[in-house]
Amino acid sequence: MTSPQTPVSSGSSSILPSDHQGSEKESSSGAAVSAAPLRVLLIDEDPERARQVEEGLVTNAIVHTTIHTHGRVLLELISKISPDVIIMDCNSPDRDTIESLRLVAQSNPKPIVMFVEEEGSDRMQDAIDAGVSAYVIDGLKPKRVQPLIDTAIARFRHMDNLRNELKKTKDDLAARKAIERAKGLLMQHHGMTEDQAFSSMRTMSQQQGKPLKDVAESILTILGMLMNNKDKGDMS
Amino acid sequence: MTVQLTLGFAQLTDCAPLVVAKEKGVFATHGLDVSLKRFASWAAMRDALGTGAIDGAHMLSPMVVASAAGIGPFPGEFTTAFTLNLNGNAITVSTAVFEAMASMAPETITRRPLSAYALKMLIERRKEDGKEPLTFAHVYPHSMHALELRYWLAAAGIDPAKDLNLVVVPPALMVDALAAGQIDGYCVGEPWNNAAVVAGIGRTLITSGEIWSNGPEKVLAVRDGWANENHETHLKLIAALTESCAWLDDMDNRLTAAQIISTPEYVDAPFDEIVGSLTGRNRQTGGELRVDLPDFNVFHRYAANFPWRSHAKWILSQMIRWGEAPDDIDTRIVANQAFRPEVYCEAVKGLGIPCPSTDEKMEGVHSHAWLLKDATEPVAMGNDLFMDRRVFDPTNIDGYISGFSIRNQTSRLGASDTNQISSLAK
Repeated sequence: MTSPQTPVSSGSSSILPSDHQGSEKESSSGAAVSAAPLRVLLIDEDPERARQVEEGLVTNAIVHTTIHTHGRVLLELISKISPDVIIMDCNSPDRDTIESLRLVAQSNPKPIVMFVEEEGSDRMQDAIDAGVSAYVIDGLKPKRVQPLIDTAIARFRHMDNLRNELKKTKDDLAARKAIERAKGLLMQHHGMTEDQAFSSMRTMSQQQGKPLKDVAESILTILGMLMNNKDKGDMS
Repeated sequence: MTVQLTLGFAQLTDCAPLVVAKEKGVFATHGLDVSLKRFASWAAMRDALGTGAIDGAHMLSPMVVASAAGIGPFPGEFTTAFTLNLNGNAITVSTAVFEAMASMAPETITRRPLSAYALKMLIERRKEDGKEPLTFAHVYPHSMHALELRYWLAAAGIDPAKDLNLVVVPPALMVDALAAGQIDGYCVGEPWNNAAVVAGIGRTLITSGEIWSNGPEKVLAVRDGWANENHETHLKLIAALTESCAWLDDMDNRLTAAQIISTPEYVDAPFDEIVGSLTGRNRQTGGELRVDLPDFNVFHRYAANFPWRSHAKWILSQMIRWGEAPDDIDTRIVANQAFRPEVYCEAVKGLGIPCPSTDEKMEGVHSHAWLLKDATEPVAMGNDLFMDRRVFDPTNIDGYISGFSIRNQTSRLGASDTNQISSLAK
């Protein structure tokens, strides 16, 4: 977790003043911006994605990440770190807790509103599709927050893609194995050549409108059954 | 021709009308192919409805009123023509708070409806002892839970803004938060009160039906624009849900309903934990552990599905009371936008279901069953009392609100909501 404690004066760079490095040396090299970096609270139950998003945000903001904080404890955390922006998984049950900050209370003099409200439904659709929800302090300029939200959306998408790819790779591998084994059985028990075995499977796949993997699995099941019966028959 | 629709629902026992309509084939007989999508937060369901990802939602009735008033995302965009159920929530406190209340005011703890008077004494004692204030939770800023909890507290002289902390906790985490001592009590729907009692960590003090008898809980929320463009589909949806609610109203069907909704794709909770909510048997309230409350969930009788504009106005009156809506808001316009009884009546005309001929009634005047004659056929109604015996006259909301000594004197609305409300009013 990144500590949000280092104070930043206006006129400093947009580079994260992390608690280890301090901001003085870096501020001279960064482009001057008019305001202090925004404080971001990132709430995500998915630690891997949280790390990805945090990595994307730290160059432009002070990021505090929390994985398993809910209800009263979450509200206390918010009042302690006083974030300008809250970024979270749009399906998190904690959203309802955050929404309660929309009404002004003694503990919460600045209500927090959904970021996308001023931006029209395209922007909202974008965020929802990526699974991102963002809340900002009421009155904060959208221009300042936009790059952070865009980064979060991109990182959420990136994680999604990575996971999809991983799943696809696993599926592909499993499919290839099944096809190879089915081919082997056809060659062994039906005297087919490798090409014949493959093209007969492909024909079945086209005729039945099923993926090659499903055809291969059916062949494995049926031939497996027949072979078992045959073995039993031989023994009797 | 079959119309495809997606409806959102929350993991609570009062999702039953939607689930039953799907699983018993009621939607199908009305030519609707409905997919149900579960949401883990009200905010996510609201966004899905607002952006058109879903066509309708099992939504907290005050969320629709808030939208109609111009508060929050999607100002003025939601409406309802169907109340899904009445009552169904309860207030539960930790065993420690219950025992402290019982020892401080034993004479009040045995009376039903259980007043928060003993809690007020406990709060004062804690103040004298220099202890930190108690924390109570509800589920969403614009919810009947929040309004009922505040009403109950304030009726005993407890000011929710000054005497304790109010926080929002997701329902599924309530019991854990109570067990961990992060909160001292909460107002939530089922099965989450029952769960605390069964686990031995809490006691249920009062049910929402005892705070206000037969108040509206969830509604079928739709987008205003969708309702206009899909009027026939909307009518079919209401007709199907009316049939489903009528079926649910028969106590003999509630066990079957409990079995259907307990499955993993719906409430995903053991049958034993949710059956009490639907049958009203072996409920807990008033600190007692086994009470029969047949009206704990009302799905159809008492003209339950008719969206009374007086209900919308009561919700709005409480929002004004707590600084969540401006006191000069036009309550008539907001109620007309939020609740659409005329659409409901059009939808059920062919089903032989009687429909009230008026869209408002006095609330808090009937202490027992009564007959509503101002309807296409007389309707047997339930009582509509408030726990403090106040009367709500929908034509005199200002007078009603000024009768409360405990209220927020200043607005709690932020700048963006204030702007939204005034631009919607234009």
